Amino acid sequence: MARTILEVTGLNKHFGGIYVTQNVNFKMVEGEQSAIIGPNGAGKSTFFNLLTGYHKPDSGRVVFDGQDITGKAPHVIARMGISRAFQVSNIFPRLTVLENVRSAVHSQAGVTMNMFSRADRIGIKETREYLSLCGLSGKPDEIAGRLSQGDKKKLELAIALAGKPKLLFLDEPTAGMSLDETEETMNLVDRLNRELRLTVLFTEHDMSVVFNHANRVVLLHRGEIIIEGSPEQVRDDETVQKIYLGEHQI
Amino acid sequence: MARDGRDSNRGSGWIRRLVGRGDISGPVILMLGIGALFVPLFPGEFWTDVGVEILILGLFAMSFNLIYGFMGQISFGHAAFFGLGAYGTAILFREFTDGTTEITMTQFLLALLAGPPVAAVGALAVGYFCVRLTGIYFAILTLAFGELLFYVVFSWYGFTGGDDGIQRLLPPPVLRDSTVYYYFTLTIVTAAAYLMWRITRSPFGYVLRAMRENKLRTQFLGINVRRYMLVNFTIAGAFAGVAGALWGPFTRSVGPLLLGWQESGIAIFMTLIGGAGYFAGPAVGSIVYTFLQAYVTGFTVYWPLTIGVIIVLIVLFAPGGLLGVIDNRLIARLRGAGGGGGANGETGSSTRGGEDS
Repeated sequence: MARTILEVTGLNKHFGGIYVTQNVNFKMVEGEQSAIIGPNGAGKSTFFNLLTGYHKPDSGRVVFDGQDITGKAPHVIARMGISRAFQVSNIFPRLTVLENVRSAVHSQAGVTMNMFSRADRIGIKETREYLSLCGLSGKPDEIAGRLSQGDKKKLELAIALAGKPKLLFLDEPTAGMSLDETEETMNLVDRLNRELRLTVLFTEHDMSVVFNHANRVVLLHRGEIIIEGSPEQVRDDETVQKIYLGEHQI
Repeated sequence: MARDGRDSNRGSGWIRRLVGRGDISGPVILMLGIGALFVPLFPGEFWTDVGVEILILGLFAMSFNLIYGFMGQISFGHAAFFGLGAYGTAILFREFTDGTTEITMTQFLLALLAGPPVAAVGALAVGYFCVRLTGIYFAILTLAFGELLFYVVFSWYGFTGGDDGIQRLLPPPVLRDSTVYYYFTLTIVTAAAYLMWRITRSPFGYVLRAMRENKLRTQFLGINVRRYMLVNFTIAGAFAGVAGALWGPFTRSVGPLLLGWQESGIAIFMTLIGGAGYFAGPAVGSIVYTFLQAYVTGFTVYWPLTIGVIIVLIVLFAPGGLLGVIDNRLIARLRGAGGGGGANGETGSSTRGGEDS
């Protein structure tokens, strides 16, 4: 039986008078690949921020892999095995593509306090593997800030993967990508999920991506989970149609 | 398969290999180092003394650039650690000699060794508070702590000599000769610079760059940003302390102004002149600044005005500093010669850089 990897209970967060996360209960089992959908401002990114330590919740509990991580610092949570990619790609713009990913490899390998070995001789092979996995093997020496939007997204995915996570959060992983790139990236995510049993939670605006690549879909609206279930269940639900899908063409 | 991550699929040719990916710091440092060996051949002590000043202040500025160019934070109080290093050495020096007897070589070396740890402890204490902030707040806090330490040293007559400072720091007889002290300084500065060079190319050095580029992302790699900032701040302080330790015996005295903000300004000026994006930048800046000062003060008292105008021009027209100008020219030429795309971002652009974000 699959093991619970993430368990969120009674999570609340407000900024001023606005409740951005309201009594959220949520569970993920190892190896699942789920999507969070919801209109803009539904609280999807805040939810990720709460789970990864960027914001501290007002109340509630987050248990990851058997350990309480509520309110822990981002670097601690990252060390424990949660990686994330941001909605607006978050990279090291003036380092090369290779250096970007290598930094993550070094951090994962715990060599970042090493002051006397050459950085360009540690973890290069592994770094190149992540680059080729994410379709960037042809561009190791390019300056990250000069990449196209799609390539920046891929780069961030490579950085996130280099952290060897057990749980991966992807905030709109295909934003800014062409159709082909979207397909390629989501297929990669599927493969990681299938072959490495990597647990993935992603947000996405493109409903075809959501319905083709998630085993389970969660609808967030005004900080609350309205419904969760299989893609079909969610697609056919009336409330969902009213709140969200009505605005979009499927 | 390329052994080295960055030199793959590049044009060959020794120039390209020498300049690597446009990081001209290596060749520049090499040339400066070789040049430095011959400085005492100039007739008269004056240029040798200028050489010592260039070396010591260059080391001071390079230590500052660990914080500025590599970590992306600007410190207006870095001279505090230069001064603490100088006082650490000077006070022990005074205890050894009582102001009357000659210092022995062993005592002298011990006194020198005392400087860097004093500076490092000071930097650790100051840094503990400063690394909680970034940007302008970091800068202001370093300035405040720098001035605080200045006033402590300035007022504590019983221990530091107050505004009189500490005089009569005569090195052992053999080191009183300008040429000998020059080579002595050159050895220590070279060793210190080598250590810093290693640090900047290590995984730790790349964490510094990562924090400069994107603190949030660095955190989410699992890196405790504050701790790494503090470690680097302390290391930079220790190297400033090495420079400070050499300064007292060179000028035969120390005074509280060594900790003051004007002294911090010297490191900033040198770094801007040479180019903050380059390891060798502050060294080049030190040469230009010190020579210029020696030259300009020969015929006018308006040195601050002169350096002010120069800094304004550099910031406006060559924000990458002198090495930035050279680097861009060099890369353009190599490209013209069919060297293939190798324009480099990290070291080639100024730390102010607004090109990408």
